Amino acid sequence: MSKMKQMIFVFGIVVSLVACSKDDNSGTSAVVETITVKDLPADTIIGITPGAPPTGGFPYGAGRYTFYSLETNKIVPASDSASNKWDLAFKGTTIATNSGNSGPGGAGAFVFVGLFNDLKTIPADSSFRTDNAPSAFAITTGSNRGWYVYDGINQLVTPIPGRVLVVRTASGKYAKVEILNYYKGGTTPATTASDAIKLNTQRYYTFRFSFQPNGTKTF
Amino acid sequence: MMKWMFLSAISSCFFTTVFAQQQDTLSGNGAITVFTATKTERALSNIAVPVQIISQKTIQQAGSLRLSDILSEQTGLFMTNGFGTGVSMQGLNPDYTLILIDGEPLIGRMSGVLDLKRITVGNIKQIEIVRGPSSSLYGSEAMAGVINIITDKSRKNTLGVSARYGTYNTADFGLKGSIRTNKINYQGFGNFYRTDGFSIRPNSRERSVAPIERFTQQHNLGYRFNDRTNLSFNIRHNSETIKNNITVINNGNSINSIGVEKNKDLNATLQVSHKINDQVKNTTRVYGTQFQSSQELISDNGVPYLDVFKQQFARIENQTDVHVNKQVEFNLGGGYIHETANSTRYDNSTSIKTNRIGYIYLQSEWRALNKLTFISGARYDHNELFAAAFSPKLALQYKVNTNISLKASVGRGFKAPDFRQLYLNFTNTAAGSYSVFGSVEAQKIINELNRIGQISSLEPSFYQLSNLQPEFSTGFNLGGSYQNEQWHITANIFRNIIENLIDSRLVAYKTGGAQIFSYLNVKNAFTQGIETDIKFRYNKQWSLSAGYQLLLTGDQAEISAINDGKVFTRDQNGFSRKMDRSEYVGLPNRSKHMANLKLQYDYQNFFANTRALYRSSWATTDTDGNGIFNTNDAFAKGYIQLNMAAGQNFNNGLSVQAGIDNALNYTDVLNLPNLPGRTFYLSISYNFLNKNPK
Repeated sequence: MSKMKQMIFVFGIVVSLVACSKDDNSGTSAVVETITVKDLPADTIIGITPGAPPTGGFPYGAGRYTFYSLETNKIVPASDSASNKWDLAFKGTTIATNSGNSGPGGAGAFVFVGLFNDLKTIPADSSFRTDNAPSAFAITTGSNRGWYVYDGINQLVTPIPGRVLVVRTASGKYAKVEILNYYKGGTTPATTASDAIKLNTQRYYTFRFSFQPNGTKTF
Repeated sequence: MMKWMFLSAISSCFFTTVFAQQQDTLSGNGAITVFTATKTERALSNIAVPVQIISQKTIQQAGSLRLSDILSEQTGLFMTNGFGTGVSMQGLNPDYTLILIDGEPLIGRMSGVLDLKRITVGNIKQIEIVRGPSSSLYGSEAMAGVINIITDKSRKNTLGVSARYGTYNTADFGLKGSIRTNKINYQGFGNFYRTDGFSIRPNSRERSVAPIERFTQQHNLGYRFNDRTNLSFNIRHNSETIKNNITVINNGNSINSIGVEKNKDLNATLQVSHKINDQVKNTTRVYGTQFQSSQELISDNGVPYLDVFKQQFARIENQTDVHVNKQVEFNLGGGYIHETANSTRYDNSTSIKTNRIGYIYLQSEWRALNKLTFISGARYDHNELFAAAFSPKLALQYKVNTNISLKASVGRGFKAPDFRQLYLNFTNTAAGSYSVFGSVEAQKIINELNRIGQISSLEPSFYQLSNLQPEFSTGFNLGGSYQNEQWHITANIFRNIIENLIDSRLVAYKTGGAQIFSYLNVKNAFTQGIETDIKFRYNKQWSLSAGYQLLLTGDQAEISAINDGKVFTRDQNGFSRKMDRSEYVGLPNRSKHMANLKLQYDYQNFFANTRALYRSSWATTDTDGNGIFNTNDAFAKGYIQLNMAAGQNFNNGLSVQAGIDNALNYTDVLNLPNLPGRTFYLSISYNFLNKNPK
């Protein structure tokens, strides 16, 4: 089977197979539940541009964001992209917020260095950034700058441990998000895995988040 | 491109008998003299710093062909792959070990690595390894230590040939001879080596060791004017031709390129030594060397690639040895170095980069008591391109009795930034179009790119770009030895504190996302551990030797970050958690434990040996994304390599030897691409003169 067919096949069966599960917010004051989202597709790869680098040979997706609402814990259809219905949007390693020129909402975000469970209250002096796509996103893009690091030798994307995306939702409430994995099934392929596996399984987010519906900055 | 680590072991043994067998380290240190430690001839038993000697006999009986073969069997040394085969000593990268042939430095490092496969062992009399900083005598690069290859200077007329053949059509031929009269002596040496190379990856077009041919010749002419004045001229030429078949895979797209890589070395030394009187000796050495490397490739889709690098190094040095009295001796020296390089990887391949260095050094040896000797020394290097370096050293030896001796030394070493770190101007179009600019170029180029709108962002490291400083280390060595008829035990504790390490950092992004890297003095690190060697002669036939190194390394900034609770890893659920100091493994690619064991049998003109080499696991890839190496990351498995050899010398001048390397057939496709599976060889040598091996 050609690589292309393989990829389309894989893409076909996984489209939007988003599983959501709830787990205990053990140990904390348990006012806010923590939800884990698995295998959220984020513009999965459908082909490779013809030719060789630097002019070609780059993998590409359909170029579409997957919009997500932390408030409702659901994927939001792209037709609602110009609304307040979504909070975060995922495309490859880029995570947009419903703010600035990305959307009409009042969202914002910043990357907090520390542990998810340790972030119990968003510090009062925190400043939420907004999107100014494509040059600057609230959640900084690029390897080792925001939430992930890219290993160019093994061509793998790994979320940096100890990074929490602190999010103000489109409607002005607060959430915290930890990206756990970038590959399908929540497991990063081995460094030795074939390029086909690395390409076919990437751009599937696993993350956990807590959303505080009461509008306070405490989780 | 990848060269190989252990293949050498496959190859050959040269002239098993041509040269009268050297004294082994076991059979009395008193007779062995060492040059490297003090830059003067000294009895091994009187050296205050950790020194190891590898004799010609040891090299031959190990069946070594290239320098890396025999070094890989020594305690605490391991061979690195990538840009050739380099040697890591006391846990430092290959960049920081100075490699000398007859006291003169070899040049032609690629990415800091001097490929030890370029050096044949066929005409080596002994290899001297000095551990710990020796910049007080040798200047730049002598941070981890010095490896000096002393070539054979026969005392009689000899003529011998040797041939060896082994797995992967690896063949090695040698011719060596010397003529000696009262006034003139000459020795000549020629070596041809070739191999088909191999790949331990099934179905791979690209070979982890490429097919290669090497030709080395060396001629040495000496003239004795009188008892006081001697002149010698030495010339060495080495050329290698490597067939490249390189596949670059990018996102499943593979591009194949074929072509040829050629490397040429030329070294010439003229030395005049004159004994002014019984107390004073003066030596002048003029040395010139050139390294030329070219790689010409053409890819499947017809894109040509040419990479050229040329480096020249000329030096004149004068040293005066003054023997004041029985207690005091000192050596005073100075010299001037003129160094140039040009490369297609710099801004312009015809623009020649130059550095000039002037230096002076002084060493004194003071036998304060019968049992106690102090050696102190210092060297000052004045550089045209970067800050000056001052390298002091102090060492002492205390002979408790005839069996026990204690040594302590402290010294400073440095490595000057190399031309690559200053002038590199390289964009890798085959892999994401990232660029690396040397520190001299970086600001200029990035500012210009920024002006024309081709820079999307400047990283914090960009604002830290400045003139590169030399890298410094302070090394402490504390050791002791015990020796009697049967046992010889040495142990050494070392600690190297390394400051100002130069590392590449991401400094900017181009529009389109391509990364730009440059070099900064950013890291402080340490390596420390214990090296131990035990030799035991059971009887005339059997002897055993064992070596062990414990190595601990770390990066100071990483340790502070861990202690401050700023470093995280992931638990089994994938959730972040704080990383503990105990999970930190230090610098990557280093094994905590390394050991070797050698069992040797000698009976009349027959010998047989088995050598086992062990390396414990080492960190290879940061898989948890925290940027440092910890127990949650990917490791290469520890392994044992077993080599065996046996040989017989006949009284008619003939000798034969056979061997198996990597007898356990251990391979690791990913982490040890240069280690072939089990290999065999057979070698024959014949002496036309001096046929009796004893």
